[in-house]
Amino acid sequence: MDKISIVLASDEFEKLQAAAMMASVAAVSGMEVNVFVTMAAMACFVKERVDRKEFLKVGEVGRKVLEKKAPLYADLLSQGKMMGSMKVYACSLALDLIEKPLSEMVPVFDDVVGVATFLGIAEGGQVLFI
Amino acid sequence: MADEKKVDEVVDARGLYCPGPLMELIKTIQLKPVGTVLSVLSTDEGSVKDIPAWLQKVGQEHVGTQKKEGYWDVTVRKVK
Repeated sequence: MDKISIVLASDEFEKLQAAAMMASVAAVSGMEVNVFVTMAAMACFVKERVDRKEFLKVGEVGRKVLEKKAPLYADLLSQGKMMGSMKVYACSLALDLIEKPLSEMVPVFDDVVGVATFLGIAEGGQVLFI
Repeated sequence: MADEKKVDEVVDARGLYCPGPLMELIKTIQLKPVGTVLSVLSTDEGSVKDIPAWLQKVGQEHVGTQKKEGYWDVTVRKVK
């Protein structure tokens, strides 16, 4: 299986959407997908915020996504996990920095890991940094 | 008179944004037996290209695509 690993470090709504879409379509196309949520992106996975649609940075296109009620990044990732081979990892440093436990995050994470683990997981496959 | 191919299942994904139609096709095709012919209806042009690309990647059959009034009809056969 082709492998692709995505480092998701942005809090820009449009980038979160794009990353989630690419991850889920890759997963349903028979690729092995890993997503590492870190830095700014981690704040966008706080369950309360996602439920209330409190997105930190929404641009012109992002507003259209919300207006047209297109599927949101958290749901796209869950869907990709259900329909294909995808693992989503939370960066342990980022979780520490935002001072939230995993239980308060969107229930999409398979594990909490550090960079070294992620690099090992990503080895040999494509890596995207978003 | 045109001979309509027998379609076993219609996946009406009109109104869904990319990758909605593809996702709906996958959810449905998974549950159907080999040999099933499905018709995916889509208003999203991107999906009309994505679906055949996905079919090729996973080894399913793209029977054909027809442009209808305001939407596309992508016919798929489950071969494995």
